[in-house]
Amino acid sequence: MTNNAIGYVLKTADKKVVSNIEGNNMETGILSTLIKNCTLTGKIKADFLVFEVDEGYIPVVFQDFPLDTLVILDFFRDQLDRNGEVETLILKINEFLKTYNNNLILNSDDPNVSRLGKANPDNKNIYYFSVDRYKYATKEQKEAGEGKFCPFCKTRLEYEYYQYSHIGKFKCPNCDYGNNPIYKLATNVDLNSRTFDVDNITYKIRFNSIYNIYNLTAVIACTSLYNIDTDIVKNALSKFVLNNGRLEEVNIKGVPTIINLAKNPTGSNVSLRILNEDDDEKELLFVLNDNIADGFDVSWIWDIDFSNLNNVSRIITSGKRAYDIAIRIKTSGFDANKIEPYLNLHDAVQNLYKTNIKKYIIANYTALQPTRKELKL
Amino acid sequence: MEEKFLNILYLYPDMLELYGDYGNIQVLKYRLEKRGFKVNIASYSIGDEEPNFKDFDIIFAGGGADQEQSILSEDLLKYKNKIKEAIDDGVFFLLICGAYQLFGKYYKGVDGNIIPGLDIFPYYTESISDRKKRCIGNIVLNVNLNDKETKVIGFENHGGQTYDIDTPFGTVLFGNGNKFGDSVEGFFLKNVIATYLHGPLLSKNPELTDYIIKYSLDRKYNENTILKPLDDSFENLCREQLLNRFLNSNSPS
Repeated sequence: MTNNAIGYVLKTADKKVVSNIEGNNMETGILSTLIKNCTLTGKIKADFLVFEVDEGYIPVVFQDFPLDTLVILDFFRDQLDRNGEVETLILKINEFLKTYNNNLILNSDDPNVSRLGKANPDNKNIYYFSVDRYKYATKEQKEAGEGKFCPFCKTRLEYEYYQYSHIGKFKCPNCDYGNNPIYKLATNVDLNSRTFDVDNITYKIRFNSIYNIYNLTAVIACTSLYNIDTDIVKNALSKFVLNNGRLEEVNIKGVPTIINLAKNPTGSNVSLRILNEDDDEKELLFVLNDNIADGFDVSWIWDIDFSNLNNVSRIITSGKRAYDIAIRIKTSGFDANKIEPYLNLHDAVQNLYKTNIKKYIIANYTALQPTRKELKL
Repeated sequence: MEEKFLNILYLYPDMLELYGDYGNIQVLKYRLEKRGFKVNIASYSIGDEEPNFKDFDIIFAGGGADQEQSILSEDLLKYKNKIKEAIDDGVFFLLICGAYQLFGKYYKGVDGNIIPGLDIFPYYTESISDRKKRCIGNIVLNVNLNDKETKVIGFENHGGQTYDIDTPFGTVLFGNGNKFGDSVEGFFLKNVIATYLHGPLLSKNPELTDYIIKYSLDRKYNENTILKPLDDSFENLCREQLLNRFLNSNSPS
């Protein structure tokens, strides 16, 4: 999402951009993006290369391309089985950053991202972004998250508040870790009117989740380093939408439908937060696959908070792990008689649209495009 | 009649909470409450008042990241004798992954660092020097519960290789087990199941869950509990589908 938004802002500023906007974020996906955009002699004509890079491939990609800015948003237990543990992954990136001297844009509110700013004390190009406390921030952590201990002195971190998961205002009571100079701070976040402020400029956006406020603040920090005019940024962000199943709002046979990709508990919890903030009656379709790109392990669905769903009258599950997610939702207390699992996605979608009640659809990585295709999108 | 109940203690919920292992407690709670039993869940973590281990019927601990294991090993060791007494007393212990390792002699990390275990059980764990090499994937075991064979489905994800197990949890039908390519998995006593299986373990294995529930109720109320059957249609469909996929094909997934 952030990758696409950076590209969109730069394009709005009349720059030529080459980017892997389809989210093929491993080495082969990035290479194929470049091949598609190069001349017969292998030259790429562009002002900017903007890549979403899989966390595990950062060192590989930077070895091949001398990119001059790296933006790191957050670390979640996404595809743990492929990456090993989150900590192993962070250590790998930290090791790479020890010799990295270019721009580094970091989320100051994620203790596991923020710590990377100390990897190379000689790097003078470190820029932290942060989002001020928003309306639904909590004193206690609501959803499972990473990084409970100070990475430097192992003391338990203290949180003034949590925005979502482990993202929030934290500090180490022992060594003062967490006190970063903030380059871009989002304030006055209002999810209803879909607005927030940075440097006294109000940005009107097309998204209504705190997660995306973080992403777009990172976009503002990044494009600011390239001196893109703030009027252009403001204009671009007011139009920027995703039509790829990332909080995509559509009408299917006249039924309002909201589709969101969820690769991990945090993404799913964000989707359910949006669902629960909507009082209308609705039905949920959850499509869960366990293909290589998803990670074979589906135990992360147990970190999703399915309790107290607001006015959900029926849940349909599908994908290769349709039964796993059905068991998970049943165990959370949702009436098993209102859960319908279908391994076959076509059957699932057919049954979903038997009623004209509003739909929410959550699909994981390899489930998303087949689901959109089944919806004729 | 007085309402029957079980007390469950969740150890280090804020540290040993990778891979949705807390789901095991949710499944226990679900299957107990559906049958009219009450469930009290307490938790203990660093800084909390010492729990009275013997007051509990089931004690659960899950897996955590390496970094957090070493922090809590130090804390856990304070309770070695009390925990041993609770085990001897018959309290049921369900230990997953990192917790499994911590109840053995020691865990040797990638850098050769030794994290001491409780040394209550005779096994020990050593990680492989290559961080990238882990036993990762779906796993199916054959497990004997009160002389009845059942298949247990889970997901393993561990770098540690566990040695010196005389009484394994099950034999491996698909997957690795205690070590790469091992024939056995986990550690099993009547009232202790220590295993690498996530999933969470109990989510797809209702017979195993009911074994733990029946054992705990029988012990607490000194009777032969007959558990009311529950509607396990999702679980049964899930098991049929996954067993067919894992055991009847050569595909790695």
